[in-house]
Amino acid sequence: MKIRTALFNEIAEKEIRNTYARAFLKALPATIAARRKAVMDSFPDPDAAQACGQAIRAEVVARLPELLEEFEKNALARGAKVLWARDAREANEMVLAIARERNVTYVTKGKSMVTEEIGLNDALVESGIEPFETDLGEFIAQQLERPPFHIVGPAINVPVEEVCDLFMEKAGMDEPTTDPVELGYAARLFLRDKFHHVALGVTGVNMAVAETGTIINLENEGNIRFNKSSPKTQVSIMSLEKVVPTMADAMHLTRLLSRNCTGQKMSAYVSMDSGPKKPGEIDGPEKLFIIIVDNGRSEIYGDPVAREALRCIRCGGCLNICPVYAKIGGYPYGWAYSGPMGQVLTPLLLGLDRTQDLYRACTLCGSCREVCPAGVDHPSMFLYYRSKDVEKDRGLRGKKRPWKESRFFGLWSRAVTHSALWNLGVRLVRPLVNRYSEGGVITTMGGYFKGWFRTRNLPPIADKTFHERWKGLRRKTTGNQSGENRQQ
Amino acid sequence: MEQSAREEILGRLRGIPKTAVDHRPDMPPLRERSLDHEEMIATFIEKLTLEEGVVCRVRDGREAVVRITEIAAEEGLQRVMISTDDVVASLDLPAWGREQGIAVLTSRDFGDRDSFRDAVFDEAEAGITGVDYAVAESGTLVIAHDTNQPRLVSLAPIMHIALVSATRIVATYEQAVEAMYADTEHIPSHVTFTTGPSMTADIQGRPFKGMHGPRRLTVILIG
Repeated sequence: MKIRTALFNEIAEKEIRNTYARAFLKALPATIAARRKAVMDSFPDPDAAQACGQAIRAEVVARLPELLEEFEKNALARGAKVLWARDAREANEMVLAIARERNVTYVTKGKSMVTEEIGLNDALVESGIEPFETDLGEFIAQQLERPPFHIVGPAINVPVEEVCDLFMEKAGMDEPTTDPVELGYAARLFLRDKFHHVALGVTGVNMAVAETGTIINLENEGNIRFNKSSPKTQVSIMSLEKVVPTMADAMHLTRLLSRNCTGQKMSAYVSMDSGPKKPGEIDGPEKLFIIIVDNGRSEIYGDPVAREALRCIRCGGCLNICPVYAKIGGYPYGWAYSGPMGQVLTPLLLGLDRTQDLYRACTLCGSCREVCPAGVDHPSMFLYYRSKDVEKDRGLRGKKRPWKESRFFGLWSRAVTHSALWNLGVRLVRPLVNRYSEGGVITTMGGYFKGWFRTRNLPPIADKTFHERWKGLRRKTTGNQSGENRQQ
Repeated sequence: MEQSAREEILGRLRGIPKTAVDHRPDMPPLRERSLDHEEMIATFIEKLTLEEGVVCRVRDGREAVVRITEIAAEEGLQRVMISTDDVVASLDLPAWGREQGIAVLTSRDFGDRDSFRDAVFDEAEAGITGVDYAVAESGTLVIAHDTNQPRLVSLAPIMHIALVSATRIVATYEQAVEAMYADTEHIPSHVTFTTGPSMTADIQGRPFKGMHGPRRLTVILIG
């Protein structure tokens, strides 16, 4: 997938005029919030349940290396093959080697964000192996060559007419229809044939249980179960933070993941693999490969603030609630991860320099932090990224701002922290600024400041500073001071 | 020698000073934990029905077979694939099939996985399986897959008929999982949770059943 994070503003401006997607996005927050609340209330104490999930994820981050080793040990004991990939290229090479060894012409895939991150589909296509996404939404997005619009509904914004044309062309549908149900069945038939004969299935991983060496996936459609049942070889790819300590922890996170993701009490299917199939079992993989992908995460781990991003469990709860996402949808985020989740993860994975607008496209309202079952503090992360960017941090690849802006804020910072400079500055600047005042409000000043006024106004600077007024007040020993107070 | 990716990644992670692990906050136990047996069954039925699963309760195995006969007649079933786990085996469905003129297939009828796969994908009109645990909290069926419980029987056919003994009802997932994962020497290779039929809402947010797996799920609760 092409990385388009640098085009955030451009794509956002286009998408904000996409009336079709807007209609869907407008309904999303209220609908999903109501569903989420209803299922969260099935916990005797929803806040305590969230706090427990957050504590599990905090523990995972704190104990990451030991949990990974424990997971590997137990997965090996169950008969799985565990492979470690430093980066995207290594991970893709591993999948390709497994595929080539078996002479497969195609693979079926369950929805997996990490395979979007490493660009596995492109790597497969380049090697002449056809990947079929089998989650309905992901299948549509893949055929349209678009990034996921939403982590849970990757193509939920695509009009039925477009899906119809697509399926007529690429999914062997005979009769045109705009009924979502019939379109779904057409995809079922097409992909069922792929599942029937597939030799290699690829899935992601929602949780990897250290205690037992088990990998767990949640889904509604059953496509992941097919990928784990029909082919002789299964490759499951996980980013290294997917590990959790115990089976009991995994069960609790399963509850939180379903509830925060789709507002379901439980996804239709959960599947848990402890090694490949055993001798005598007629289906399931003879070989189970688990690829643990680093791709920059072990570097991030060294930064005590940035590493908190590794708590994320990709439920998408933050997208569902974000007021920015609700205006622009998933495309402007330009890569595998959209919404606040993407704004937190993508800058770390690609660098602050390539994702300038991502961590700035936020009002810091904190809705995402409030719903996050993993305890990610998104607004604080964004502030951290912004400061590291300005400081031109090397590890996070900060870019530094344009020199005029840096210079201006350098002076500004000096002025606002020294009272004498501030008072002098106010007196000097007041006539210059107030020149632009019309009817008691400044709506533009032109020049460098034009951009600032695009979405805001400024009141004129008061005739007297607070200090000047205070001195005046102290001179008065009695009498009504309201006249003084009302003065601008 | 070049360092392996494993050593490099783990080495870097281990090189970071350890931070303290906070105490886990307390969480009140789920309400389902205080239900008695009959209440658990009622909750299980209520939750699964909400997910559009059909649940019917029968007194014993004989009644279960009667119910399967009714379903077969309603659906016009000609060929079914069954698992060979204890629950299903106790009903002797192959004999029932011969009586009814319905082809009853098991994985043991097939010499290799490919011919089994062909049959379960293309021929079976329903899959009939036993269930290891029924979880009250969300109306969830828990199945451990093994030689007698192939993975595709409950997945590939358009209809899944699941048989579960009322004695196997538990309140929460943890109780089912504890029982299955306690003996580390005998952990099942594959365990699935099923809560309703296969579903999606990926086109326009319009939900429907039977995306890839079964469109219909009928649970026969025995006892």
